[in-house]
Amino acid sequence: MINAETAGIMIMLIGLYGLITKRNLIKQVLAINVLSTGLVLFFVGTGYVENAEVPILPQQAVVDPLPATLMLTTLVVDVAITSLALALILRMRREET
Amino acid sequence: MIPTLVAFSLLAAFLVTLFETLKVKEGKIKAVFLAGILSSWLIFGYVTTKMPLSEIIGNHAKEAGIQVSLDIYSFYFILAELILFSLVAVYSMSYFKQRAKNGKIYALLLLMHAGLLGAFISRDLFNYYIYMEVASVSSFALVALSDEKGAKKAAYKYLAFSLVASYLFIFAIGIIYLKTGYLNVELIKSSVVVSREINVALAVAFSALILKAGIFPLHFWLPDAHSKAPNPISALLSGIVVKAPIYGMLLLYLALPIEESLLNLLTLIAFSSMLVGVIFALLQKNAKRLLAYHTVSQMGYVLLGIATSNPLGAIYYAFAHTLFKGGLFLSIGTLINAQKTKDLEKLTYRHDKILMTSIIMLSLAIGGIPPFIGAFGKKFLLSNLNGIRLYLFYIAGIGTLVSFTKLNYYLMEPGKAIKSNLTQKVLSLIIAVLTLAFGVYFGLVISYRDLLVILVAILTFWLLQRVGFFNITLKKYFGESMEETGREVNAYMVLFSLFLLVLLLQSF
Repeated sequence: MINAETAGIMIMLIGLYGLITKRNLIKQVLAINVLSTGLVLFFVGTGYVENAEVPILPQQAVVDPLPATLMLTTLVVDVAITSLALALILRMRREET
Repeated sequence: MIPTLVAFSLLAAFLVTLFETLKVKEGKIKAVFLAGILSSWLIFGYVTTKMPLSEIIGNHAKEAGIQVSLDIYSFYFILAELILFSLVAVYSMSYFKQRAKNGKIYALLLLMHAGLLGAFISRDLFNYYIYMEVASVSSFALVALSDEKGAKKAAYKYLAFSLVASYLFIFAIGIIYLKTGYLNVELIKSSVVVSREINVALAVAFSALILKAGIFPLHFWLPDAHSKAPNPISALLSGIVVKAPIYGMLLLYLALPIEESLLNLLTLIAFSSMLVGVIFALLQKNAKRLLAYHTVSQMGYVLLGIATSNPLGAIYYAFAHTLFKGGLFLSIGTLINAQKTKDLEKLTYRHDKILMTSIIMLSLAIGGIPPFIGAFGKKFLLSNLNGIRLYLFYIAGIGTLVSFTKLNYYLMEPGKAIKSNLTQKVLSLIIAVLTLAFGVYFGLVISYRDLLVILVAILTFWLLQRVGFFNITLKKYFGESMEETGREVNAYMVLFSLFLLVLLLQSF
């Protein structure tokens, strides 16, 4: 079985493939989002500890909470940039017609 | 105390947006904007008296908190940022006067200011990334502000490539975190064990940062974005935004042992960037594009400092480059504002003594002629070079001077006398005088050898002109439509993937 990190890297590569092959700009933005999803999976995977609990209450063994918190920040950046990119594409289309 | 450097401009950005929505008078918005930019000077002035200084935000343990520092590695970046940003802030108030609503622009500028300062003080890889991203996001939006045709397309390309590079950079941070368990630069250094994974992380991180810094062969987004942005924004982009990735490289250099083979490859990239940037610059007819290609070439110099394990050289050259490239964009931007053209053959500064002085001074500074500041950084960079590298370095230097001889040659031709804005002219002159003042402060003196170098450059220019080198026009591979933009992104993404692959394979 593959682990979360490997799966994350594979999803990132799928995103990169989309950026290389798709000409439609909106599809490119979606490809960037796929790439970022893979990254999030990779990061959350790095914090995984076998048989560990959710890090909310003090427990015996917990998973590493730091990667998940870092990914929250990245997701915020992600949302901001996706909306900016889509707005730019709208403006470009308006300029063209 | 150090984090407050960032806090006030963030607060001001929030207030400016709020006031804009509440329809507060323009004058008050401007006052808040200026206060946000200039308040950093006060804190910086206070903090530098205690340098070198380092603290963990919130007084947590080093393992848990975020460390910020002010020492030799960040001092010159911050100083350059503050000088350039203060001048550009005043400049953009006069530049954007005609537009109806300026609040958004001021808010974006403040966010960029906060992002850059935050990136330059951080000693934590993830924190550095977040602040660099704040600065990048505002610069995408600021490039798109321009009314020029193709500006939106340039902004889109800039956004797409920069974003992919950022994700790869975080991916590299993830690998480093997985192997060492830390994000803090000093803690990584103390606990790192060299392994294949760390080498992979370094290769990915460096290729991402090279793209973000616009170094050849990953410079493809830079000429469009930097030449189509509004003039004061171009000065910021070329001057200081491309320095944020360089600071990231310095952090990596401080945190991890870099293998000799990667350093050699980086040296090769640096030299190719220096030379190719100059060759492309020589062929440009658009004044701002010419300056943008010089940024590609000059960033090669800065990378050379890191690649030859000479971080001080990189820092001093980055400082110098911020001053003179920012100044060049401001002064040539002033000419463009008044004469409404970017064509080098139509622009002229003949009737304008102030701009003439400042452009000539800045041209000498970028050519590395003492007593201007460019020469000081070059002296540092030269100290680690020998043999063929030394000659290549001199060739790139002379190439830069030839290109600026060309610029001044065209600008000197007489044309219609059109008055340009006085504030903008004075700001350009201030930055030109600063390049001289810092050069003198660092103890540079005029020598006869440099006069000889200038003569060689003028002679080469004359020869190239006789041969007809400047008449070569570059073929355009991609059109203007959206479909073509998509193709362009595809093609360059292939190039980026190949570059990444080369850097990865050398680490095995």
